Amino acid sequence: MSIVARLEEHALKPEQELAALLEEAKGGGAIVSFTGIARPGSKGGLAVDRLVLEHHPTLTPQSLEDIAVEAAQRFDVSQVRVVHRCGAVEAGEPIVFAGAAALHRRAAFEAADYLMDRLKTEAVFWKREIGDAGSEWIEPTERDYADRERWG
Amino acid sequence: MKVAFYGRLAEAVGTELDIEAPPGCSIAELRNKVIAEHPQAEEALRNRRARACVGDAIVHDSYALTATDRVEFLPPVSGG
Repeated sequence: MSIVARLEEHALKPEQELAALLEEAKGGGAIVSFTGIARPGSKGGLAVDRLVLEHHPTLTPQSLEDIAVEAAQRFDVSQVRVVHRCGAVEAGEPIVFAGAAALHRRAAFEAADYLMDRLKTEAVFWKREIGDAGSEWIEPTERDYADRERWG
Repeated sequence: MKVAFYGRLAEAVGTELDIEAPPGCSIAELRNKVIAEHPQAEEALRNRRARACVGDAIVHDSYALTATDRVEFLPPVSGG
């Protein structure tokens, strides 16, 4: 079992994270990865230049670690990899990478889905959109909380 | 007592305040004191998903503060 949970202050390169997961998962049969990208538009349709993700010095890395470890315990996976940006992320750039490797695909799909539902609602970040509307705090939607509740 | 704030709360009141709070004061009482001095923080502080933290652990409203505690108020978190 290998678990990576990393707070990334600089550019997140999903292709490098996937390559690392492929390397670690030799002998497995499935990898599922998700990459979240900063959207160039707000819910209200205004242009967004960048997202700014504030974090807590201890609680944020701990939250990433807890979510990755709990995914590894819950599903029949051999690798879990979570990398999350902090700081300013320009529109179009990756914010988060969540990947899992397993012997069979179902566990990898479920682990990646679970990772993202928990990251959306429990990873310790405070997120602002900067753009035509000025600066807007973004919090999880009721749908995000409902998605999280699916896992109990 | 040093009280720290993050996210929209830090935007409303600053990243740290010195709030006069007697030993044994609860988190709920401390929250009321902050709101009395900084009413602009009320909505975010009373959000049901906001949390209080002491020593990197989430604490409940009834937690009784000691003189050396440093409290952090966290608005709802959002990753991904």
